Amino acid sequence: MSPGAAPTPLAQARYHLGYQVAGRATLRVQRLRDERRLAARRPRPGDALLPTLASMARMKELMTGHYLRGRYVPGVRPVAWVTSGAPVEVLTALGFFLVYPENHAALCGARKQGAAYCVQAEDRGYSRDLCSYARTDIGAVLSGRTPVGSLPPPDLLVCCTNICQTVKWWYEVLADHFGCPLVTVDTPFLYGQAQPHQVDYVRRQIEEDLTPTAERASGRHLHPRRLREVVVQAHEASQLWLDILDRSQHRPAPMTAFDGFLLIGPIVNLRGHPETTRFYRHLLAELDARIAAGTGAVADERYRVLWDNLPVWYRLSGLSRQLAGLGVNVVASTYTYAWGELASMIDPDDPWGSVARTYLHPILNRSTGHKLDAMRGMVERFGLDGAILHSDRSCKPYSLGQIDQRDRLVGDLGVPTLLLEADHNDQRVWAEAQNTGRIEAFVEMMAAGR
Amino acid sequence: MAATLAVPSRSGAIERARERGLAVVAALPYHYPRALLRAHRCHTVEVWAPAVAVDSGARHFQAYTCGLITRGTAFLLDGGLDSVDAVLVPHGCDALQGMGSVLTDFVADRPPVLTFYPPRGRRDVDRAYLVAELRALADRLADVTGHRPDADDWQEALALEEAADAALADLYAHRTELALTDREFYTLVRAREYLLAEDMVEATTVVPRGPARQRGVGLVLSGILAEPLELFDRIDEAGAHVAADDLSTGTRRLLPPAATAAPADPYERLADRLMSGPPDPTRTDPVTARAAHLIGLLQRSGAAGVLAYDPTFCEPELFYLPLLREHLAAAGYPLLHVEVEPGTPLPTQTVTRIEAFVETLS
Amino acid sequence: MTPTAVLGTGALVAVGVDAGSTTCKLVGVDASGAVAMWTLEPMTPRIEEQTDRMLTEVLAAAGGASGLPVVATGYGRKLVRAADRAVTEITCHARGVFADTGTGGTLVDIGGQDSKVIRIGPQGAPVDFAMNDKCAAGTGRFLERAAASLGVPLDDLGPTALGAGREEPISSTCTVFAESEIISLIAHGAELDAILLGLHRALVSRVLAMVRTVGLVPPLLLSGGVARNVAMVELLGRDAGTPVRLPSWPQLMGAYGAALVAARGFAAGCDREPGRVL
Repeated sequence: MSPGAAPTPLAQARYHLGYQVAGRATLRVQRLRDERRLAARRPRPGDALLPTLASMARMKELMTGHYLRGRYVPGVRPVAWVTSGAPVEVLTALGFFLVYPENHAALCGARKQGAAYCVQAEDRGYSRDLCSYARTDIGAVLSGRTPVGSLPPPDLLVCCTNICQTVKWWYEVLADHFGCPLVTVDTPFLYGQAQPHQVDYVRRQIEEDLTPTAERASGRHLHPRRLREVVVQAHEASQLWLDILDRSQHRPAPMTAFDGFLLIGPIVNLRGHPETTRFYRHLLAELDARIAAGTGAVADERYRVLWDNLPVWYRLSGLSRQLAGLGVNVVASTYTYAWGELASMIDPDDPWGSVARTYLHPILNRSTGHKLDAMRGMVERFGLDGAILHSDRSCKPYSLGQIDQRDRLVGDLGVPTLLLEADHNDQRVWAEAQNTGRIEAFVEMMAAGR
Repeated sequence: MAATLAVPSRSGAIERARERGLAVVAALPYHYPRALLRAHRCHTVEVWAPAVAVDSGARHFQAYTCGLITRGTAFLLDGGLDSVDAVLVPHGCDALQGMGSVLTDFVADRPPVLTFYPPRGRRDVDRAYLVAELRALADRLADVTGHRPDADDWQEALALEEAADAALADLYAHRTELALTDREFYTLVRAREYLLAEDMVEATTVVPRGPARQRGVGLVLSGILAEPLELFDRIDEAGAHVAADDLSTGTRRLLPPAATAAPADPYERLADRLMSGPPDPTRTDPVTARAAHLIGLLQRSGAAGVLAYDPTFCEPELFYLPLLREHLAAAGYPLLHVEVEPGTPLPTQTVTRIEAFVETLS
Repeated sequence: MTPTAVLGTGALVAVGVDAGSTTCKLVGVDASGAVAMWTLEPMTPRIEEQTDRMLTEVLAAAGGASGLPVVATGYGRKLVRAADRAVTEITCHARGVFADTGTGGTLVDIGGQDSKVIRIGPQGAPVDFAMNDKCAAGTGRFLERAAASLGVPLDDLGPTALGAGREEPISSTCTVFAESEIISLIAHGAELDAILLGLHRALVSRVLAMVRTVGLVPPLLLSGGVARNVAMVELLGRDAGTPVRLPSWPQLMGAYGAALVAARGFAAGCDREPGRVL
């Protein structure tokens, strides 16, 4: 879409009828049906996991709706492909439709298609040692295939290094492929506390590079009031998400981290939209109802455990069932917490400054020592019996430091901690017999500690 | 092939630095401001995957970590830390990030670990940040050494380091007139990593002149670390030579001389120079810039192809390779990519690959 | 020992030595480039002495010829004292297969300890190549270990696999982990031939991944010890979507190519193809 060009009448009509009217109506009907079905489900004796939260239906509506919208959006709205930690408030305020290649990759991984897309990239020379999100995405882009029908090509790429450095090289590949502008928001790694010159750097990149480039790419002008609205929504939704996650401090916890890995979709992909805020309010109410009824997500919650690092997308239900069957509820994760714990930093009255500070502080941009402290804090607050550290073969920023963190959780806190070797999106790395054995041994250790 | 060129040793350089009253700082690879450390009366000695036992380092990092990190850590833990006054870990990739953080947080009661985050981009905003980051590093160095440089300290440090850089650039410019084998040439180039700047200048003046002792097909050697040195012997035996390089241990840090109208403020001057280096994967420069740079090297040197020689698990290198290969092929140049485990002997299989590559070029 | 075979009546003009890790092969060619004699022995650790002896015997059997050019290839090529030059298996296999089949194409060579894919240009020069020499799972060793742990004789592997009615997919990427996966499958009642078929498929898929990085230009050619495995030939052709051609003597292609290199002076300045991609 060329900057400032008005959408063609045909594209606009398709968008209106196909997505806004027909698409959303269909999804709403589907959601109502799913909600009724889920609400009617009763726990069966012998089920380790309770029936799924009814809110999953609403999450599915939002996320499916998002990808459906993506099929109608070319030529109608400007499109940006962004990293999961990118300061998207500016882009949302400018009306960009956002594609998160990481989320799309995770979606492929959850459907056990990660390896197939990775192979597409590997055939073109991309090493198997590279991040499996990147390989999945590059494989999808180069092959032109996707399980969501189609992805709108970007008018702009925005890459923020607060989750890793890999995204920078990944997005250079995308920039070379798509030929569109790439903006980097480089967030210096915080080995200690954030310093003024680092905050200033992030702020200046957002103000002097991201904003004007995004304005040019969209043909629109950023209105401060619109930005404020978006930041208000982002702040509220983040706060709600934090409250949701903290509800799992209850015994029994009303949801599992595996639920969280799916329910996180809207705060990541649709941050700043009112329907996201509404969704999390709804979810919080459902959790409170469960708490009032004394209902836990795991039928027999004997052990409460933390999950560190990315999910194993292609084994979500398998792991969830296996652990629940062993009496384990994964009640907390550093991964889901990342989108809630900075809520208080977001200040709608200081959008530029607070956004700059907030985006410096995601846990992946903090030191290995800070991450250990965060996990120690979770052990306390959530009353944890153990920790599973997913040693993710293709995610170095999250995995390096885990060996020392594990040693200290075990040595200083006496918390049994399992280093589980796998990969977030490439199912070829999963060693079934070895990992099952390790998980069982880990549970035995927690049992022995009683 | 024994070196006929006598290059001062690493331990000798450390002794000389101490004699001069300089603190010794172990520096991990690879973009950092030497002159800033010199101005604070610090001499940097770089740590590039020493061929030591790796176990103590491997205990802290998973098996999928680059050998520069595991061996660098092992070296530090097995006595390296006791022989230096500080460690500097610049940020360049996720593995170095992990190393800097683990050393800072989990390897306690050791000399101070200093970190440094250079910007990736080349925008004005990146330059402004770099100036501030240089000042922040200077503050920490002043704490470590108890010394704050005055204008004279700065002038001397900048002059020394810029002279050493110029001497190195001169070596490269006259490579074909230096009667050195590739192994000798790179041994000398790498001395920049541990010699005092003034001693580096001295070392470059005693190089024998004459036709370069190279033969056969020319290669552009690209990558992070060209080790072990026997790599150059094997390239020679295969009937090839290194006509130019795109190495982190080579021209990637060959900074252009300061402009005649360079700023007086030392931080600004340093920032300008650091921002002006050639296209580099850790700077995340665009693919097209890197490809153009490699093609330029190939054309100017008359080389026939690129040997991309990398440590295993190196994201900065691996992400670029498929597209670089495409761009180079479009310009008529082949590329061979090999991966080696840093700090270990050269595997015969790797030598076979290189020989086969040279055979296809011959 | 006498050479294993003497073919034709043309006088020897050159000899190639393939000092592999398990076997040592010698091939002598005549002026027309045809194989005039060949011999094969298990490799011993004393490569220099063994190859000296084998060469002496071959030259004696050829009527006392001397001063012939000799090129050595293979893992132990630099230890063959009597060779004038050492040239890699990449070049030699490409030359040998081209001369034998009369065509370029994509050559897959799966040995016991390594595997390679070589794209052979229209004049017989190697244009691009990929090697797997780090991981046993992409080599004949993968099948050998599985056969050993299943108690199946090596020569029965292929026919048994092809006779399977169904296939058990093997997901482990590692030879060692695959063994525990096999044990687990058997414990769950999976059938031997189905497991064997799955193992073959896994090897084929790894080989094809290498083929794709080099680029598949038909015909697809197969050499090396594993070429004798009928299941590998069948599955490779099926999954690549193009039939597999076998050279006349799959195990001798390296030595044959080395002899041709010796006879015609390849890999020494004359054969560069314009505009090729590597």
